[in-house]
Amino acid sequence: MYRRLLINIYQVRNGLIHTQNTRLPSTKCKERESFAPVIWAPCTARPLGTSSISFSENKESSTSLSEDKEKRPEENEAKEEVNADGQKSTEISNATLTSQLETEPVDKPEDSKQVEKTKSGKESLLELLGAMKVEVTTVRKIRPSKTPRMSERPDQEPMESTHSMFQHATAEGSQQQGTLNPALVAAVSAAASTLPNRHQAESELLKQLRKHEAVPDTQRRADGQNIGHIIADMKVGGRKTNGRSSARPTSQIRFDDDGKGYTQDRGITGELDAVRRRKSPFTSKRLNIFTAGMEQDTLSVLGPTLWDIDLANQIVQATNQAPRNGFEEMIQWTKEGKLWQYPINNEAGLEEEASVPFHEHVFLEKHLDESFPRQGPVRHFMELVITGLAKNHHLTVQQKKEHIDWFRDYFRQKDDVLKEAEA
Amino acid sequence: MASSCSQALRHHVCKSSRILRVHLQKAWPNRSFVLNPAADQQPAVSSPEEEIVIPKKKTWSKEAVLQALASTVNRDPTASDYRFQDDPYLTPKTSSEFKLFSLSQESGRNAAKYFISTYPKYFQKDYAQPHIPCLMPETLEAQIEEVSEAALIERIQMRKVKAAVDLYDQLQQAGTPVSLDVTNQLLDLICFYGDCDPAQENVPEQRNEETEDVQDEPQTKKGRASKASDKLKAAWKENNNAERIFALLSEPNTHSYSALIRGMVKYGAYSKAFSTYTDLLNNQLKADVSTFNALITAAPEVKEKYNEKWELIVDLLKQMAEQKVKPNLLTLNAVLKALRRCGTVGKSQAFPVISEMRALSIDPSLASYNHLLSIFYKPGAPFQGQTDILQEVMNEVSGKSFTPQDPDDAQFFITAVRICLDTKDIEQAYRVHELLGVGENWRLLGNDFQQNIYHARFFSLLCMMENIDVVLKWYRDLVPSVYYPSSNVMRDLLQALDTDNRLDLIPQIWKDLKQLGHGNRQTLVEELLTLMAREKQNQEVQETFAECALDIKKMYDTGDRGKVMMSWTAGSLSDLVSVLLAAQRRQDAWEILKLFKTHNRVPSEELLDKFLTCIKESGDVNQALELVQISAGFCLPGTPKLIQRVQQEFLLSEQQKSMLSDLEIQTFNSD
Repeated sequence: MYRRLLINIYQVRNGLIHTQNTRLPSTKCKERESFAPVIWAPCTARPLGTSSISFSENKESSTSLSEDKEKRPEENEAKEEVNADGQKSTEISNATLTSQLETEPVDKPEDSKQVEKTKSGKESLLELLGAMKVEVTTVRKIRPSKTPRMSERPDQEPMESTHSMFQHATAEGSQQQGTLNPALVAAVSAAASTLPNRHQAESELLKQLRKHEAVPDTQRRADGQNIGHIIADMKVGGRKTNGRSSARPTSQIRFDDDGKGYTQDRGITGELDAVRRRKSPFTSKRLNIFTAGMEQDTLSVLGPTLWDIDLANQIVQATNQAPRNGFEEMIQWTKEGKLWQYPINNEAGLEEEASVPFHEHVFLEKHLDESFPRQGPVRHFMELVITGLAKNHHLTVQQKKEHIDWFRDYFRQKDDVLKEAEA
Repeated sequence: MASSCSQALRHHVCKSSRILRVHLQKAWPNRSFVLNPAADQQPAVSSPEEEIVIPKKKTWSKEAVLQALASTVNRDPTASDYRFQDDPYLTPKTSSEFKLFSLSQESGRNAAKYFISTYPKYFQKDYAQPHIPCLMPETLEAQIEEVSEAALIERIQMRKVKAAVDLYDQLQQAGTPVSLDVTNQLLDLICFYGDCDPAQENVPEQRNEETEDVQDEPQTKKGRASKASDKLKAAWKENNNAERIFALLSEPNTHSYSALIRGMVKYGAYSKAFSTYTDLLNNQLKADVSTFNALITAAPEVKEKYNEKWELIVDLLKQMAEQKVKPNLLTLNAVLKALRRCGTVGKSQAFPVISEMRALSIDPSLASYNHLLSIFYKPGAPFQGQTDILQEVMNEVSGKSFTPQDPDDAQFFITAVRICLDTKDIEQAYRVHELLGVGENWRLLGNDFQQNIYHARFFSLLCMMENIDVVLKWYRDLVPSVYYPSSNVMRDLLQALDTDNRLDLIPQIWKDLKQLGHGNRQTLVEELLTLMAREKQNQEVQETFAECALDIKKMYDTGDRGKVMMSWTAGSLSDLVSVLLAAQRRQDAWEILKLFKTHNRVPSEELLDKFLTCIKESGDVNQALELVQISAGFCLPGTPKLIQRVQQEFLLSEQQKSMLSDLEIQTFNSD
């Protein structure tokens, strides 16, 4: 049976398909360490107990569950009685938690919700968790509106510590003291019916329950510090608003694949994201018509056709293009070309010279080639001219050339005079 | 190149790495004004031994600085729209004014454009330096007169369908060959406009139509009107010019087929489009992606049953894959749009289609999500168990900034908020609204008309679901800077006030109502009066109520600039009287009571009873008698009771007593 349970656990883990909501009383568990295997089934159907909600569409798990049923008839009995009681078993079709701890068959499992009574530290809890076997649970139908919304809540207060959340949850729970949840009573009677003297057991159970409900807030808060350490590493479920979950304890213990027995660093959002991602229809299977790396046959592309222009036009008309402030209006004008563009670098307004490299501006000797004398005062003069031009940033290259050409013409005209003076 | 540079630099860098690093680190924060994330250009200066990656040259768009500046401006909830800020006198206060002003601005622009284009000779002086092309008149007349291919190209560019077709025919007759590309462009033009000349705004014949359109929205005017008129006027005609010219082509290519098929789909010749597509396949050609998109759009039109429609779409997609045509976003949107008309098949296939496109790295746009929502939420249909689709969609889109890629993108917000309203899902509505604030998403809210619908739905939902304080917070934020509520929405607000028992805010709301131009909505005003009269409030509130009630009365008296006046009803009058009585304004109430007579309304007995109680408090005997007379005048059955009360509760003189008994006899006789 141990093997069997182990297999089940692995199924749960590998599937990563459930969120286990349990309330684990380490003290109580400790006390019961010498007892026979406890049946947790009654609790699971009860909103306050070690209820576990899990999402599973895993067919395998449910079949394995039925196998389990054969092996453990007495557990089944208990479970089915609970179901027959017309509790919320429509949603939680079946959930069992068995512990390897030796406990007596039915030992007021509702005590288990009393986390506040724990005195042992994190280590003992871990031990217990490690020793515990979690059985596969199935849920036939998940309420669609609930799970994604749950994922929203933590977004708003993601930094809320688990400790404070716990306190919040207990505060919620304490609102219910005095009056016991009818579902709870039903569960108690279900549990009691498995015992020989049914009525006595039932009344004892209920008495015990009321005692818990009456635990004063102050004590809870005092214990909260201690619990805070323990549940710091637990998964804590989001607060739900419906009646069933408002009464449910919030510590959710969850196993993970990392071998430590529980997840450590991932926050509630991460977990719920995982739930959501898993459930998201956007990740459903594809049609498998196209292959991903498909190469497109290149057709002759002739630039935008009339249809493309019209599409762009339609998009522009469908959307709101009205500017919201002066800057946006200026952007619009810039795009339309009405506004001189705002300088974004030191080359603004460089339209006609944009394609001219700087050396065209600076190295102008090449324009002084054969049309000027190789040496002499004219050459000297012209060298000074091009030096001046090279440093002039107001003129374009074309204008500089024109400048040089003017001198060329001028000296050609004065050729006679020059020759006379020089020669 | 970068690596070789860094090779050369390394030696130098090693020496002066420390200095360099210090400099770079000093320089880097100074560049933090960058608008676009420059993460990929960040130089790696992790350790001196490592290779230095020279950052790529950053090219800035010319609007970069302006965009950075614009991003610093937030919306001012107390200011009106930017369009109206030039002239405070023209700040719109009501939705009709808003419409009028924005339309007149737009039509002023159009008028100017019209004159410039019609009389270009008067607008030749170019003041702008440098030259601004968009301010110069457009050339509307063809410049090239001779019959040539160049002239044909010019006419195609000017979108003159008839002229281009004529010219093409002339060229054909002259035996001049026209190249396939130009012919394809001509086909594009003909098919796009359905073989009719496009309706040009600047043609005088169109003016009448335009002035009629003024009631419509400025931006949709062109799109919607032209689309509607296209659809109405032009259907695809048998053997029109496009088909004729297409038949003349010796070797039509993919482009020619594409133009023809798209034209056929646009103008409703769906089955013909499919037969043309078969033709294309027979000619051993491949279709292009836009052809497939058009055919997918047409698919629901040619088949009757949901299954058949979907099979046809799948068939088309498979053919795309066969022909190695890569689908694009518009394909995805076309498929989803077609699925909207496939009933239950749509629901089962929508997500696989999206996954398929994701696998091809085509991300859905807002239009895709819009179609998706429309598939799952049919207006008027029950919504059980479907809220999660909206949540899933919101989970997908939250926090993303979208760019417009499809004309249907602008429908998303309206659809989403409609679903929120139908399912009363305030949480999702907040998420939708939040999405609207991300990046440039506000542009995708669409034109003024759509914005109005969106805000109306959002605000109605708030009124329905939220605490009044929250509602008022939103109210002050949205009204009137972005939204002018209709009278229906104001009624929702009144109901919200009622539910949260904050009736003391009514006078304030009445002021807004008046300003929003709803002061003459009879039903609304009557509801306001009923709410004020219903319960007794504390004295202070009653005073303001009374002021407000008198203000409302003024509204009835004057009417609004000759508009249809509201008429008094018995209910509104008695509400008014009750409000005034509750505020101890007996004299005002007395005035109102007289109005019953002038407007031929009959007051209720309870009202007169209440009035009498009020009179008794002040002990005005004469008024009490007058009241009894009024009551007798209306022949109210409760008159004897009133008379009795007056006899018992007031100190009467002999004369008054006899008068009363006379009245008593009269009423007795009339009975």
